[in-house]
Amino acid sequence: MMAGSNLENVLRSGTFAVTGELGPPKSGDMEVVRKKARILKGHVDAVNITDCQTAIVRMSSLTAGLIALSEGVEPVMQMTCRDRNRIGMQADILGASALGIKNLLCLTGDHQKFGNHPQSKGVFDMDSIQLLQMVKGMRDDKKFQCGEDIKKAEPRLFLGCAANPFADPFEFRPVRLAKKVEAGADFVQTQIIYNIEKFRKFMEIVRDLGLHERCFILAGVTPPKSLGMARYMKKFVPGLDVTDEVIQRLSDAKDQKEEGIDICVDIINQVREIPGVSGVHVMAIEWEEAVPEIVKRAGLSDRPEPTGIEPVLTSTGAIEEAVDKARQEAKIELEGQLKKAKAEAQATRDLLAKEKEKVASEISGLKKQIEEAKNMVSRKEAEIRKLTEELKKAKESMDESQAVKPTVQAKEAAVGVSPLLSAREQQVLNSLNKGLAALKEVLGLDDAQFEAMRRFLEAEFMLQLGTAVVQAGPLETAKAESEVSRPVVETPTVEPAMEVSEDKRTERPKEVVNLVAKGNVALHNKDYPKAVEAFKKALEIASDDEKAKEGLEQAREALAKEKEAADKAVKVKEVEGLPPCPEELDPEEWKQKWIVRFTARGNVALMKGDYEAAKREFQKALELDPDYEKAKDGLRRAENQEDIFVPDVELGQEAVAAPKAEKAPESQKPEPAAEVKPEEETPPEEEAVPAEEEKEEVAEKPAAPQPKPKVEISAPAGEGVKDLSVASLAKDEPPLEERAKGIPEDVYKEPCTGVIQSVSIGDGDKAITVGGETALPFHTFEGDIPNMPRTAYEVLDAPPEEWPECLVRYYSDVINDSAAWAKKCVSEFGAEAICLSLDSTDPNGPNVSSADAAQIAKKVIEAVDVPIILWGCGNAEKDTETLREITSLIENRNVCIGPLTDANYRTLGATAMAFQYPVVASTPIDVNLAKQLNILLENLGVHLDHILMDPSIGAVGYGLEYTYSVMERIRLAALTQQDEKLSPPIVCNLGREVWKAKETRLPTDAELGDQERRGVLMEAITASTLLLAGGELAIMRHPKAINLTKVLIDGML
Amino acid sequence: MIIAERKPMKELLEMVSDVKRLLIVGCRGCVAVCSAGGDKEVSILAAALRLGMKKAGKQIEIDEDTLVRQCDPEYIDPLNDRASDYDAVLSMACGVGVNFIADRCPDVNVMPALNTTFYGANLSSGEWKEMCAGCGACVLHLTGGLCPVARCAKSLSNGPCGGSQGGRCEINPDVDCIWQQIYDKLSSLNRKEELRQIMPIRDWTTAGHGGPRRRIREDLLP
Repeated sequence: MMAGSNLENVLRSGTFAVTGELGPPKSGDMEVVRKKARILKGHVDAVNITDCQTAIVRMSSLTAGLIALSEGVEPVMQMTCRDRNRIGMQADILGASALGIKNLLCLTGDHQKFGNHPQSKGVFDMDSIQLLQMVKGMRDDKKFQCGEDIKKAEPRLFLGCAANPFADPFEFRPVRLAKKVEAGADFVQTQIIYNIEKFRKFMEIVRDLGLHERCFILAGVTPPKSLGMARYMKKFVPGLDVTDEVIQRLSDAKDQKEEGIDICVDIINQVREIPGVSGVHVMAIEWEEAVPEIVKRAGLSDRPEPTGIEPVLTSTGAIEEAVDKARQEAKIELEGQLKKAKAEAQATRDLLAKEKEKVASEISGLKKQIEEAKNMVSRKEAEIRKLTEELKKAKESMDESQAVKPTVQAKEAAVGVSPLLSAREQQVLNSLNKGLAALKEVLGLDDAQFEAMRRFLEAEFMLQLGTAVVQAGPLETAKAESEVSRPVVETPTVEPAMEVSEDKRTERPKEVVNLVAKGNVALHNKDYPKAVEAFKKALEIASDDEKAKEGLEQAREALAKEKEAADKAVKVKEVEGLPPCPEELDPEEWKQKWIVRFTARGNVALMKGDYEAAKREFQKALELDPDYEKAKDGLRRAENQEDIFVPDVELGQEAVAAPKAEKAPESQKPEPAAEVKPEEETPPEEEAVPAEEEKEEVAEKPAAPQPKPKVEISAPAGEGVKDLSVASLAKDEPPLEERAKGIPEDVYKEPCTGVIQSVSIGDGDKAITVGGETALPFHTFEGDIPNMPRTAYEVLDAPPEEWPECLVRYYSDVINDSAAWAKKCVSEFGAEAICLSLDSTDPNGPNVSSADAAQIAKKVIEAVDVPIILWGCGNAEKDTETLREITSLIENRNVCIGPLTDANYRTLGATAMAFQYPVVASTPIDVNLAKQLNILLENLGVHLDHILMDPSIGAVGYGLEYTYSVMERIRLAALTQQDEKLSPPIVCNLGREVWKAKETRLPTDAELGDQERRGVLMEAITASTLLLAGGELAIMRHPKAINLTKVLIDGML
Repeated sequence: MIIAERKPMKELLEMVSDVKRLLIVGCRGCVAVCSAGGDKEVSILAAALRLGMKKAGKQIEIDEDTLVRQCDPEYIDPLNDRASDYDAVLSMACGVGVNFIADRCPDVNVMPALNTTFYGANLSSGEWKEMCAGCGACVLHLTGGLCPVARCAKSLSNGPCGGSQGGRCEINPDVDCIWQQIYDKLSSLNRKEELRQIMPIRDWTTAGHGGPRRRIREDLLP
């Protein structure tokens, strides 16, 4: 027995052990630990307390372990070597042991880089194996690591370690475990197992080494909580082999959590069968609830009664005392509660009895009331009967009187009843009214109801009068048709034939009465429009019928009221057929939204080519708003089956809706630009020598991707100067506007706001201007590019020593005479400009005197009329001297001088200003340095339109990428951020960079190919790359490379 | 050799912001080889500082010099005579050179232009890699010549940790797992079995944790 921990007891008893894992909180909240411990308690034999796992700061494992212990859960304290040296670790080990922790898992620890303090200093005073050795020494030899004795109470700890069977090298993993066992591990917990086959192999080797007999092996398992988690572990957790099968099972599962638990249980069942596995370590961090379920399903829930779990901080006696106290307190409280409950029950009973009595008396009272009510009802019934009797009588007497009345009177009565009625009729009406009033009282009607009833009866009364008149007439009578159907009154009906045969005069009043009655009924039914209609009709017939007028007025009033009240409702009705308007929206807005929505849907359908659907949607929109232009337009297009053009419906701009009627011709040829034909009939105009197209099949040509513009390069044939021509690039592709048809312009255009300075060099009509553009290089569609990039031939002031033969041969006849050289470049090769490099003046080289150099320069300048750049040797002082010397000789020629550096910009800048020369401002490759020099020059008085920037460049393979990015940044700053100080054009002195690269000097061989072609391509590629980065003037050497570059420029602009 | 890299310009400009006369001193030793502080770098830095100071509207006079080494007295002692000409000396040597100038030239106000990074080798143009930690207790005979102290993220002594995957270290896929390499190397030398031995806990006193280190060779002492 090493420590007598529960875990040790369980393992030694041969029971299949289960351990869990508990991650302490990222706070000082003790309850979190308690809660997790309670979930795990009883389901596992011990719980690992992690030590700032993944290097994230958390409550220390020692502290959290003690809290778990106080909950009756045995902790396995984890300890890493990352955060403490041997002093701190031994101190904590002593403390842990003192406070009752009996299991220690020794780890090296995750690297601090993974955590939330990646800047911290990782300690790693020792590794996990050395830690095991150290603790074992403390326990078994009672010695500190330094060898000093532990005098009393050595730490008694059951030591664990980790093993990862899935990390590399696989064969070494069991060996490493053996080292750990050797160092002192009593048990081992493995990395999470998903790949059981690999684990089985691992265990085979472990058994071969006999390790399963020297330590207890617990297989690590984790339920995958979700597919996402499984994928994450597979991808990002090093040394964790999540199998595809697990991923598949999860992705097929309906309930991933449930499936995750099942997967975990399956793995447990399988690893249990592997000989040498003594238990499982279930890691369900932040999903502790899953552990009991997993343990249950795996049939492991019958855990042995824990032994050896004693929180030290509260001693056993104290616990018993506390328990007793708690028991007594609980008893007292329980008794108190019982008493209280009893008293409450009694009180409730009493209350109930009282309630009962009260209810009984109430019921008897109610009975009495009912009796009374019954009596009253019968009394009222009698009254009603009496009144009805009276009414009948009145009616009868009326009928009698009518029978003897002349027709005229009846007519008069119908037109204006009350004033013209006979005294008797008046009497009848009066008694009728009285009866009605009584009725109202008895029936408890309100005024409105009563009024309606009264009118009703009145109408009936009049009707009866009319009918009586008709009956008196010669023809057979019938009853007038009426909508009236009140049960109180019999509904009279009229045969249609009667109206035809009836004399109009006699018919009118009856009709009026009918209409008024109809109106009243409608009024009562609140069908105001109908009432208005009826009253109006009545008035048409008898324009001064008071009843009709009154009714009409009332009906109109009611109608107005109703309208007002139901204003909102009416509006909602307007947008019928739409989903209910949300409260926060005005119905009108809602309608508008739907119009837009329908139109949008229509447009979408239109785009898809579903014209029927489009039509439907547009029609819907037009139903809501027949004047909506866009919908109209869409409908028209849907009907004509036009396609494509998508108006931006949400913006609702009229302009957008403007139809673009033409249908894009589908047969349009796709990108003719893709096929580049070498066009022999249009050689570049600069070509001085007529082209002899001796096209040799270039070796790399078949490998080159077909759509790329291929440029035929012919190797020099014979004496070499005659074959410098380069085929042009095809230019007949349609303009971008055409190719981008249908795509909004702002998608592919990003116009710049800055402008590049334009700088002129040279005199007269041979002068060249570079710069001036408002767009990125070759972005002709985004802005103006008034001047194309230019090339200049480099001419040396002395015969070059290091130029390879394949370059020198073009100048061999003029190599000793710079002026003739320059002349040849212009007359034979068509040079646009010459750059005279004054290399020989270099004090570290030939150190030709400034005066001599100036003479050479003067000759060159006089020999040609193209623009000249004078490029010094790079020594600031010497260049100042030489260039000044030259300027004093050349009078009025406008040359460009350079390089001006931070060391000599003052002197040379002043010279340039005096003669109004453009200058080359040269800086080490850096955006800020370039800008700074421009600022200094400007402060001096040199205008930005007299500066060419030389940002220092590198050839392909020699820093071209760096050059490119610096130039690009310069150009972007000038164009997009309007950084004026970076707006001068860029000059690239690239020939010298390319031709000093060793690749241009190595002779032709099978591997590197033809030397000349190699050099030409290197120069041309460097040039074209730098032009794409923003270069405006390329100083180059090889005529063929220059021609290639020109063709490229020409093809792209 | 000692590998170093130039400090950012911003930091250097702040460092010399009050300096009127500055001497930049390079070193033709390690830092020249690793393109951090040789003749070329001295002139680049001088140009950059001149421009930077001008941009900031300040006057500065900068002289340039590059010494054979800055870790031997005979090369740096002459600086004492030039101390009065300059407000400050900006050393482009490794930290050794800066310290040594400070030690030996009481009147020189010396500043570092470089960050000294590690002991490494030049893998290819522009790439250097740490190879040694100068721990003072070499175990390379046990590990096939490959250093776990300098080249393992956790300086492990007893084999690869669980984060070794496909020969790569878990901290960064660009970093090799040196323990995988040690294992492979010893396997190819048929010395794999040696890895079964537990390497005992290390004594870090020689690695500087025992205080500043010093070496004496009696036979060479004057």
